[in-house]
Amino acid sequence: MNFRWWPIRRAVQVLILALIASPLIGLTIFRGNLAAGELFGINLADPLAFIEATLASHVFVASFFGAALMVTALYFVTGGRTFCGWICPVYLATEMGEKLRRFLGTGERTFSLNGTRWSLALTITTAIVAGIPLFEVVSPINIISRSIMFKTWLPLMLVCAILIIEVFVARRIWCRSLCPAGGFYSLLAKYSPVRVGFVPHLCTHCGECIRVCPVEEVLAPALSDNRPQIESGDCTRCGDCIDICPTKALGVDIWYK
Amino acid sequence: MDSESTHTGISRRRFLKDGILVPLALAVAGGGISTLFLRRADARGFYLRPPGALEERRFLAACIKCGKCAQACPYTAITMAGGEAGVGIGTPHIIAREFPCRLCPDIPCAKACPSGALDRKLEDVEKIRMGTAVIVDRENCLSLRGLRCEVCYRQCPLIDKAITIEPRHNPRTGVHSIMEPVIHADKCVGCGICENACVRDKPVIVVIKSPPVQKDYYEF
Amino acid sequence: MEVSRRDFLKATAAAAAFAAAGGAVLKPKLAEAAEGGIKWGKAPCRFCGTGCGVLVGVKDGKVVATKGDPAAPVNKGLNCIKGYFLAKILYGKDRLTKPLIRKGNKMVEASWDEAMTLIAGKFKESIEKHGPDSVAIYGSGQWTVFEGYAASKLFKGGIGTNNIEPNARLCMASAVTGFMTTFASDEPMGVYDDLDLGDTYFLWGANMAECHPVLFSRMIDNRLKNPKVKIIDFGTRRTRTSQMADTYIRFNPQTDLALLNAIAHVIVKEKLYDEKFIQSHVVFKKGKTNIGYGLEDKFKFVDEPKPMTFDEYKDFLKTYTPEYASKLSGVPTATIVEMARLYADKNRKVNSLWTMGFNQHTRGTWVNNLVYNVHLLTGKICRPGENPMSLTGQPSACGTAREVGTFTHRLPADMVVTDPEHRAKAEKIWGIPAGKIPAKPTYNATEMFRALDRGDIKVIWTQVTNPFQSLPNLNRYRKGARKGDGRFVIVSDMYPTKSTEVADVILPSASWVEKEGVFGNAERRTQQWFKMVDPPGEAKNDLWQTIELAKRLGHGNLFPYKYVEKEMWEEYRKFGEGQGKDMAPYEAYAKARGLRWPVVNGKETLYRYAEGHDPYVKKGEGIKFYKNKKDGGKAVIWARPYEPAPEVPDKSYPFWLCTGRVLEHWHTGTMTGRVPELKRAYPAAVCEMHPDDAKKLGIKNLQKVKVSSRRGTIILPVDLNGRGKAEKGNIFVAFFDENKLINELCIDAYCPISGEPDYKKCAVKVEKA
Repeated sequence: MNFRWWPIRRAVQVLILALIASPLIGLTIFRGNLAAGELFGINLADPLAFIEATLASHVFVASFFGAALMVTALYFVTGGRTFCGWICPVYLATEMGEKLRRFLGTGERTFSLNGTRWSLALTITTAIVAGIPLFEVVSPINIISRSIMFKTWLPLMLVCAILIIEVFVARRIWCRSLCPAGGFYSLLAKYSPVRVGFVPHLCTHCGECIRVCPVEEVLAPALSDNRPQIESGDCTRCGDCIDICPTKALGVDIWYK
Repeated sequence: MDSESTHTGISRRRFLKDGILVPLALAVAGGGISTLFLRRADARGFYLRPPGALEERRFLAACIKCGKCAQACPYTAITMAGGEAGVGIGTPHIIAREFPCRLCPDIPCAKACPSGALDRKLEDVEKIRMGTAVIVDRENCLSLRGLRCEVCYRQCPLIDKAITIEPRHNPRTGVHSIMEPVIHADKCVGCGICENACVRDKPVIVVIKSPPVQKDYYEF
Repeated sequence: MEVSRRDFLKATAAAAAFAAAGGAVLKPKLAEAAEGGIKWGKAPCRFCGTGCGVLVGVKDGKVVATKGDPAAPVNKGLNCIKGYFLAKILYGKDRLTKPLIRKGNKMVEASWDEAMTLIAGKFKESIEKHGPDSVAIYGSGQWTVFEGYAASKLFKGGIGTNNIEPNARLCMASAVTGFMTTFASDEPMGVYDDLDLGDTYFLWGANMAECHPVLFSRMIDNRLKNPKVKIIDFGTRRTRTSQMADTYIRFNPQTDLALLNAIAHVIVKEKLYDEKFIQSHVVFKKGKTNIGYGLEDKFKFVDEPKPMTFDEYKDFLKTYTPEYASKLSGVPTATIVEMARLYADKNRKVNSLWTMGFNQHTRGTWVNNLVYNVHLLTGKICRPGENPMSLTGQPSACGTAREVGTFTHRLPADMVVTDPEHRAKAEKIWGIPAGKIPAKPTYNATEMFRALDRGDIKVIWTQVTNPFQSLPNLNRYRKGARKGDGRFVIVSDMYPTKSTEVADVILPSASWVEKEGVFGNAERRTQQWFKMVDPPGEAKNDLWQTIELAKRLGHGNLFPYKYVEKEMWEEYRKFGEGQGKDMAPYEAYAKARGLRWPVVNGKETLYRYAEGHDPYVKKGEGIKFYKNKKDGGKAVIWARPYEPAPEVPDKSYPFWLCTGRVLEHWHTGTMTGRVPELKRAYPAAVCEMHPDDAKKLGIKNLQKVKVSSRRGTIILPVDLNGRGKAEKGNIFVAFFDENKLINELCIDAYCPISGEPDYKKCAVKVEKA
């Protein structure tokens, strides 16, 4: 049996959900959610949440900054949007949605990947101007974790709305074009040392990788220009292209090429 | 892929889509959400926040809705607001009538807050200021009718400080006294235990937003 | 000629009960129109011994409302918060509606006939095999006069055993023996009016603010009107009462004995006593000392009173210098002297009020005697506005337990089984053969359950009380009840309780206005009410249950009544007639908002033993303690020393444990626990502790602690700044919470004279849980 990334990735995604749910059965290993949490007593914080809260409230908490910095470093080292591909529960949900969409054959339309950066800009501007941490208010990531933590199901409607739009209107629109957290991590990912590597001479141009990739635009430059790595920050490091490539033209690189 | 083949047409469409339409759509959506759904926080009425919370507007700015305060509460008193809270969706609050704040001496909820929305340096429960209890319905208060109720007073964790009893003559019977619970706003921490304990179907004592302290002389 | 029930109702009730109930304030027709077809009747409150009057609103066979009765002199339309929710006690979800019989570990529904046949069979079998003293009945101060009277008549006059006790033994037996030893007649000379008329109130071990709420508000109102009024609270715990008192005097547990003697010492030394009053109304006596604590099974004690002179009494007091008492009690010497002078101040009308702090005391009788001593020395007694007054905790502790005499040693109207004349009188009134009533008392309450544990009592029936939550050293008695070997426990109650848990048969009882009844409150006020609604399901009146057993045991002839309540009342009334305990005819009570006995020629008595008030005191006599014929109509000042408590804190158990009540709940919470509003207002018991003690143990507020004594352990949260503030070295836990049985920790030591256990003092340790 060939090595595959996806079972590991799926296991990680489920583990994250399990960690968020763990306090419900009285475990104390993890507290909080992906905006800010505490794993084995170590404080972790979403850097975007930190930026928003700090800019909006003018309250600076050093430990919060430290926790955000640590997470930033961690994601930078591991690939930036690895957060999306491996950790984010919304990504997991929309992956499932994607399966349904493919089955139904609906909603082929896509929007630009730059959307996430625009939305990041909007989020930060709102925080500065209006003093509202906009993304923390609407974030489906928060909504899903709160649903698990406090068993409140109603706000999940927003997640359902996203799924419906994704299934019937625009493929993966949330993760591709709207999520400011994705936008933030894409900035990191651009410079992250962990990337998908490409060996052009092994490629048969079968197009399988493009078919499975949620952000297929990132593959195009490498495939057409025979570049050795996927350089775009929008790559979520999900590894699906590596898994599907029949000729092993795609793999994991741990340094810049 | 077909888009890739026709070069010129695409780039204009791409430019329109990426450079103008998407940000425009986002700005309109963001603006729409902000003006309609995310109205000013105080327009949504009073939310009883956990101990040590910043002033409401800044609290809403600083809270990242991680839920750690709620997880830290041993009395399940802190719940996360739903969509009805508008911009406060997912923020922690206390529904005193259901589960009031019991004023744990180590204030674990504030200690759990990562973002500074709750003041984790808060040590003294008597310094907490979540709100102020007020007898909002004096007509229906049993104690004010001369009955020996005063449940709010006896259950007050700052008994004889935040609430005291001021007896006065009950002219209705001529021989009994009315034991009036009097709330001292400067001492009341707003925990909501009185609101929770009130025996009336609709509590006659409730916690409201602490009114600004007004001086007893006129100043302008 | 017998009046049928129907005639009687027509004649009096129609006019009196439902109609005249609101009559003084509301015209019944108007009331019905205004309040949506609700009919209003009068009844006394079901809870404490204050005896507030309530109006009960009935619609479609259900009590739909209750309110304070504006025409009731006690409360004038007010209630405490328990009384406000009175109607709700009848309609808890888990009301018992069918007899239940134990089959293995299950309680199985049965018909009344099945249940009563089984019970009667067990009684017969036990009496045949082990004699009449192997069966017992345990009731309470919540028995109506009729229920108590029927139980007493059946057991003492029918079955022929003195195995009858009320839970009042756990509550005010020491007050009884105090009254009996000092005045030779039970119950106070004063009335609640003293709360309006006096100006100096000494409270001893009484948290009136919470336990007698309506009376407390009356006393506070007196102070609002009269700046001279002073309220002094002597206690071992800072309560809501202490908070509102002018002076709070903290003393070490048990040292009230020394304090009262020291007060007497100062009064005598400074010659503040009323020489003339003493000469004409007082004799001096002393009794045995080192009298034990009743800790051993079958403990017996008989006091040997010896007369003494005033000078000898003065000698006795010499030990109790304020300095000595101060050392024992922790009360400053100057305060003791000041209080003695206040007690004796000629310009002050002084009252003493007390409840369980005095009564639940291993020297309960003594401490009751000692407070009378002070009043008798200063002559501040039997006058409007100055009296010693023992407050009671149950609605008919006075009316039933004490006046009907449902104790092992008592008969109605202050009579006792040990006196052949008294027995003869009772046998005559009851129409039973001479010699039927046994001459020897058997067990006090604690001893009764010890006998059940040992197996000397086989069959026990408890009515309207919850002993398996309320007894001290509870673990022993709960285990004892389930030891098998022929033991058979019958429990009549309206709800499942800690007592129904150990029962072999549970009988569903009617409560309060689901039956007709009479209660007597703490100021000798006898209050009657009619049945207003049917009990739910098959629940039945305890009176019916007792008479049903009587019939099945062949004693049906003891209850030959048609209109049971009225005829029984007229029979019962014969006991007190001419004895200073006269009651009015039944009709009078149907009309009145209670009457204070003795009721002679239709007139109630406010101040006993006082000329112009008490019809038994002749013109020119002034004050006469006429019931104490032995001592020539004089009251007794007793030389009673200080003796320590049986169990005092030591290294391993360093805290005093005190138990008691809170305003929101009553007794074991069987009724108030079914009122959601009260339950929410005060959901669970907490352990009150002094912050300094907690700090030493590293315990924070609200933290769970493990409290243990030599007898039991419970875990509950600690409360450092609640309504009650424990003094250093003391903790307090309320006993209403059936999930936190604090009585498991209490010691079953009792006052050898009264047989009342001490729930206020035992040694415990506190640890982090």
